[in-house]
Amino acid sequence: MSLYKKSLRIIGSLFVVYALLVATHRGEFWPFSIYPMFSQAGPPWTRALVREVPKGKDHIPTDTVSLSELPGSSFPVAPEGINQNDVANYVSKTETWSAGRVEGLRSLFARNESLETSLLIYRVRGRLLEDSVQVRAIPVLFFAPDSTHLHPSLDTD
Amino acid sequence: MQRWLHTLAHELFDFESPETTGERIYFRVIELFLVFYALLFCWNWGLYIQQNVSSVLLPLGIAKHVDISFMFDHYLALVNAGLVTILCGVGVFRLWRPAYFVALLLFHLQYVSRYCLGEISHGSNLVGMGILGLGLAHLYFRTERYRRRFTLGFLYFFIGLGYTSAAVCKLIGTGITWPDGHHLLMWIAERKVDVMSKFGAFEPTMLQELVLQDYRFGTVFLTFGLLAELSGILMWWRRYRYVVVLAVLGMHIGIFFTMNIMFHASTYLLVLLGLPWHRLTDRFRSFLQSARPPQGQRRRPA
Repeated sequence: MSLYKKSLRIIGSLFVVYALLVATHRGEFWPFSIYPMFSQAGPPWTRALVREVPKGKDHIPTDTVSLSELPGSSFPVAPEGINQNDVANYVSKTETWSAGRVEGLRSLFARNESLETSLLIYRVRGRLLEDSVQVRAIPVLFFAPDSTHLHPSLDTD
Repeated sequence: MQRWLHTLAHELFDFESPETTGERIYFRVIELFLVFYALLFCWNWGLYIQQNVSSVLLPLGIAKHVDISFMFDHYLALVNAGLVTILCGVGVFRLWRPAYFVALLLFHLQYVSRYCLGEISHGSNLVGMGILGLGLAHLYFRTERYRRRFTLGFLYFFIGLGYTSAAVCKLIGTGITWPDGHHLLMWIAERKVDVMSKFGAFEPTMLQELVLQDYRFGTVFLTFGLLAELSGILMWWRRYRYVVVLAVLGMHIGIFFTMNIMFHASTYLLVLLGLPWHRLTDRFRSFLQSARPPQGQRRRPA
């Protein structure tokens, strides 16, 4: 078999494997991908933000606010060695906040230790309005050093 | 069809033309680059898994079929990174032909263990494809020259395919209105929240300011990005290769300035693949040789 034929056969066979794997795994089977990111333009998005609030607070606020009205101070996750996408996905993709899910998110910040500070986790939603984007933040979880509080509207076990 | 495939194979692999020293150096640089980034990803992910990952929220790849939670304990993610390191070393020194291929399988396991919390990252896909290309080249070819030609052709084929596939997804997912600048307004707002979450504050870049002031600039940027991606498969042909790779590279730089997203490894790999570095190396070597005095005129040491 010529080198060209052999190379085409390898690439052709891999292409079939590639197509089968991405077709049966929602477009992703690393390192194969159909690269669907940003393919749906325009629909509302959901991300997350973490705020540090003074100690002593023992309940979760329920108000939906804009980014300029967020309470407390910013709590950047990168210096803590946490990936912001992990926090955002945890917050946006969790539908039922079971004890395991809540503990899983808390452990991202606490890592087997007690929290030194009180953190408010916000679900942030954006949607297109004419020529601007409306961004609103809803508190979902409040991690105090010794307790965890969920927004009353969340689904739990 | 046969004729087209024949032409395509020659465009991608070009096994016949003589190989220069510049090509050999160039390929070794690409190989070491791929190995360096594969190890960087594996060790970074290993440390992250060890510290932060305790449950599977979104199973990807092999994790859909196998419970990979065993990777979260007993430092297994770091052991896996160590194994990938050894296998890549074995591959670099040509000690065992399947080394790169096995390294790719463990690399996959590391990826699905790291990205089981919901994020689907594409920053390492091109490096993964590169290691796969090296793995197949070493499995199926015994001559180094053929391995080099095959790996490069493989990379151009699947990278080109990936970009065109991304453009097709956009046209299917949204339609012809995908490049509407309003969509970029949405993504800039989304990235603002991400950057605030990551670093605590957000400062818009000049390009973002432009789009925020007039969304039509966004339409221009998105149109360029979509066309650059659509043209991806043209890199299969040598005549268009460097122009298309540079266009895609330009798109990545645009993504960085408009959306604060930088795929470092992919961008640097495109820099390596997007310019004729081997020809520049050959020319530089010729220049050095011509600048050297002829053998007979060299001074003998006293």
